[in-house]
Amino acid sequence: MKVMPSRSNEWVRPLTSQKPASAIIEIDRVSQVFQTSARKDHLALSDISLTIDEGAFVSILGPSGCGKSTLLYIVGGFVSPTSGAAKIKGQAITGPGPDRGPVFQEFALFPWKTVLGNVMYGPRQQAVRAVEAEAQSRALIEMVGLKGYENFYPKELSGGMKQRVALARTLAYHPEVLLMDEPFGALDAHTRTRLQNDLLNIWERDRKTVLFVTHAVDEAVFLSDKVVMMSNSPGRIRQVIDIDLPRPRRRNELLLDPRYQKYVVDIERMFDESDEAGPAS
Amino acid sequence: MISPAALTRRAAPVLACIGLLAVWQVASLVLKNDSFPTAIEAIRAIPDILGDKESLINILASLRRMAIGFGVAVIVSIPLGLLMGRSRAVAAFFNPLLMVIYPVPKAALMPIIMLWLGVGDITKTLVIFLGVSLPVIYHSFEGAQAVEEKMLWSGAAMGLSPLQRLLRIVLPAALPEILTGCRTGLVLALITMITSEMIARQSGAGNILFNALDMGQYDTVFAMIIIVGAMGICLDAIFERVRARLVRWSEPQFDMPLSFS
Repeated sequence: MKVMPSRSNEWVRPLTSQKPASAIIEIDRVSQVFQTSARKDHLALSDISLTIDEGAFVSILGPSGCGKSTLLYIVGGFVSPTSGAAKIKGQAITGPGPDRGPVFQEFALFPWKTVLGNVMYGPRQQAVRAVEAEAQSRALIEMVGLKGYENFYPKELSGGMKQRVALARTLAYHPEVLLMDEPFGALDAHTRTRLQNDLLNIWERDRKTVLFVTHAVDEAVFLSDKVVMMSNSPGRIRQVIDIDLPRPRRRNELLLDPRYQKYVVDIERMFDESDEAGPAS
Repeated sequence: MISPAALTRRAAPVLACIGLLAVWQVASLVLKNDSFPTAIEAIRAIPDILGDKESLINILASLRRMAIGFGVAVIVSIPLGLLMGRSRAVAAFFNPLLMVIYPVPKAALMPIIMLWLGVGDITKTLVIFLGVSLPVIYHSFEGAQAVEEKMLWSGAAMGLSPLQRLLRIVLPAALPEILTGCRTGLVLALITMITSEMIARQSGAGNILFNALDMGQYDTVFAMIIIVGAMGICLDAIFERVRARLVRWSEPQFDMPLSFS
């Protein structure tokens, strides 16, 4: 777990030299309308404004269908907003780019490539020499706990292992922001817990900016510095909650921490209240 | 060591062939019809055909046309099918055309093509090309359409251009489906090859067969049927080997019948 790629300085920022937080992603009055049929438009996102600081772990939390994934896709450049704009480091986002690395719930691995081939794909695309790309990729595969599986094909791996490969594949091309779209949503509870722990371990080492979409309250609180609560149809930001819990976080300590429990209970209550109030106007 | 079950499985196709020949032999002996030689007579005629230089030239000419027709069809159809699968505009343009061509027996177009291009190689190769194209286009189209959007997004985030995504993500992801189409295409190539030689007689395996039919050499007719059938089985077995190698990474989607490999 101590192996670092040779270009480690690019994605490992020492904790001691942390700069004051500055905005890396700015979302400015973004709305998204989907045409569901010829007559009816569905307002998926309504007037979303959000700033994400560099190095922050931010979760977007909300019920299914609240547009939280769409918001992530807009930041990724995969979807263009109907109105408003998103920026990364002051530059308008016009399309996907290697500065923003997605990790999808569906894994989206390349099934014709081995584990090593998948992880090496990004570096090779960016013209990193084969030898160097392979060394880096092997180190990353070891870091996500898959040493020995380098030559396996995705079809031979379990869901949890596939998601570890997907994470390594994205980390391999050094994105500045990780965009995680319900990455553990398709996994069983046990695997999900292990991957949360491992993700946090990896993240606490390099403190890359993470935008993490989830509908699980405990997951959002456990991982994040900031939880963005969204409400349903149209997708709006309800509230942004700072999670003021010490790091590094360890699951067995945190679950007993009354502050953690209060965050979870408070957020759950807020969602319940909005449910009782009936569908939002 | 080979287990009894595996042995049975391997022996089964051989037994089926022997069984078929036995039924043929008995039926022929019972019916005593001049136009229905026994299996042994037909098999005896095979070395005569394969030993004859003229026949071999004919058969090789057939195979050459088939290879060219099949090859060109695959080279043209895969990119077209992939583009149709990824672009609604391309699909909207070509789909109606293909729908019109699809149900038309390609051999039915031959008289017109013969009128334009004569009875030579070009006409026959073109008919084979038409026969192979449609299943390959269709399967490439289906395969390209089924490619996971998120896989393409992952590639885009790594910096792949649209063309790179088509060649390096859509093509390999759709390969299992494409090869299924190619396999159907290969059998159709053999069928259209014989049919085209039946209509425009000049050379080829089909020419030998129908000339023999005209001259009442029924043992040669049946020997040719066996030869063409064997060619089909061999080509399919070779193709299936190659296919299985190329897509061994993919989940087995369905069993492929008609294979001895």
